[in-house]
Amino acid sequence: MQKQFDNLYGITPKSTDNPKAKQKQLFIEQEQARILSELPTRPSNISFFEEILLKRDTAKADKPLVGYFCNMVPAEIIHAMGAVPVRLDGGNNIAAITGEEILSGEICPVAKASFGIFLQEDSLASSCDLLIIPTSCDAKRKMGEVLNDFKPTFMLNLPPEQNHRMYIKQVYAEMKRLVEFLRQNLKVKLSKSALKKAIDLGRAKSSLVRRLQELRSQDPRALSIRDLFLIVQASAFGIVSPERWIEETTKVLDELKNAEPPKKSLRPRLVLTGAPIIWPNFKVLNLLEECGADIVADTVCTGAQSHFDPVVVEEKSMQSLLRALAGRYVFASICPCFISQNTRINRILELYESLSAGGVVNYSLRLCQLFDVENYRIGQVMRERNIPFFNVRTDYSLEDTEQLRVRIEAFLETL
Amino acid sequence: MLVAGIDVGSRTIETLLYDGAQVVETIVTDTGSYPKENAKKAFNNLLAAASVKREDVETIVSTGYGRNYFEGADRVASEIMCHARGASYLFPNARTVIDIGGQDSKMIGLDAEGKVQKFVMNDRCAAGTGKFIELVSQSIEVPLDKMAEATVDTTESCDISSMCAVFAESEIIGLLQRGTPLDIILRGVFKSIARRTLSMAGRVGLNADVVFTGGVAQNAGVTRALEEESGVQLHVPPEPQITGALGAALVAAERN
Repeated sequence: MQKQFDNLYGITPKSTDNPKAKQKQLFIEQEQARILSELPTRPSNISFFEEILLKRDTAKADKPLVGYFCNMVPAEIIHAMGAVPVRLDGGNNIAAITGEEILSGEICPVAKASFGIFLQEDSLASSCDLLIIPTSCDAKRKMGEVLNDFKPTFMLNLPPEQNHRMYIKQVYAEMKRLVEFLRQNLKVKLSKSALKKAIDLGRAKSSLVRRLQELRSQDPRALSIRDLFLIVQASAFGIVSPERWIEETTKVLDELKNAEPPKKSLRPRLVLTGAPIIWPNFKVLNLLEECGADIVADTVCTGAQSHFDPVVVEEKSMQSLLRALAGRYVFASICPCFISQNTRINRILELYESLSAGGVVNYSLRLCQLFDVENYRIGQVMRERNIPFFNVRTDYSLEDTEQLRVRIEAFLETL
Repeated sequence: MLVAGIDVGSRTIETLLYDGAQVVETIVTDTGSYPKENAKKAFNNLLAAASVKREDVETIVSTGYGRNYFEGADRVASEIMCHARGASYLFPNARTVIDIGGQDSKMIGLDAEGKVQKFVMNDRCAAGTGKFIELVSQSIEVPLDKMAEATVDTTESCDISSMCAVFAESEIIGLLQRGTPLDIILRGVFKSIARRTLSMAGRVGLNADVVFTGGVAQNAGVTRALEEESGVQLHVPPEPQITGALGAALVAAERN
């Protein structure tokens, strides 16, 4: 395989050793855990999932660790090649500040926070052996070049359009290239049976999240959107085997099935859409629920949406398995990085109607141009259909919490 | 019936008693550094001024940035709702409310029944708010209540391009040093506030009747600049700063 990066001008990776920053970073996570502990109803084994996210710094795997960004990298391939996949998109404000000091202040907090954790020597990101980064935005596209000096990095080239007929060959070739990158670095060959097994486990995970989401949409307070995000994110952002995660999540599902039938609730039911909400940055979720809204469903790539589409396998040849993964991870994605994005609007409308929701909230992450510009069209489409729509634009800092609270309260009053 | 509205803003606290037909009493005080204590004090002063007892007030609704600081409230309502309610009570044909307070500004679009349809709030800085005017007042040494007066006969204006309160201050000092007359600078300040505020109109629409509320609406210079920049005539209540408290009282009356 031809190398993606020329190391002619490679630079020595930087690292920062700032115990204060690490302390603050941990504090933010513990503070979010404390806020969650005040929820009236939680699954009895929720600490299992919370621990996975809280212990990320010290987690060491006995297998090679492959870090990746975005919801467009098939973790199944990594599993099938005997390594542990871990999603590294960052949600910590202090990590974002650390990243900003070295990289740039003018890129979105996800990129800054993701970069920030690479600067810490004992972080989970630093213990990764390899990195996979899709070219899903300009910040990530160029960050890969910087991070390649830290870890051998593979850039997964995405097509500009989700036109299956035109681009499936290209994406399939990219998948093969990814497999080759992993083979060279991990010295492991991908077998059809291992990939099939990993896909089956992935499908089992998806169906669990779908069932959880289905049940909680009837009674969103039986399982808060924040706990759902916690459960979903533990499976990708932390180190846990799919089998173990399935076991614990099945317990959550059973509890939810046996929960008492919901009492009639007057709380407004909202559909949440927009930019990724990543642990511990649950600020907007905290605010929405504290102000009295129920989030009945989401189209967020770090929420239930990340498990909405199962991988559909038609034949068992290696080619069709990889094509199935391409179909699921690239062509079914709701990311605004593609030049036309109707899938997201379709999903929002479908959720709004089928769950008799009362409105739609869009989370717009400051400095993410893709979500920001797409927000305009979504807002207009909602208004044309008389769907109450509200845009929350913010970043990871907490200083605007009270201003946001006013806006959210005012929006809820209009419903 | 007797109800009360209390608007705990960033700069001032407005309290108001309403009997179901008209406003009985209003008191406006500074928020100061102790909003909790001062809100309580303001409310007690209101009761004393109207010679009524706490038990006589059936429902109290608080609003504003410090709405949760006032412990005596039966419920809280957002300032968006309260300004909308207050403005359409005073001007039943109101379709747009521009509110400029001590630390934020907002534009609210109303439907024919006076219900909130859309709203936009300014971002997280003092630009174009009451606090900005206060800073200008201090740096050019013209008292707040004399600022509009100073520009009554001024037709010219200059550009104040910085919208950051801190940068604008140094821009104003530069203008003063170059000998630009004070009244022209002030007109520039008012115009820049107007433009900043009207930039929100794109997302809400500026449908007549437009009502201008909040403490800054007491400044005729800003009102004039808003009218000139938008080409729309504004309706300003006689006491624009109490609109939020009035709205809160109206919400209280409805819930009663």
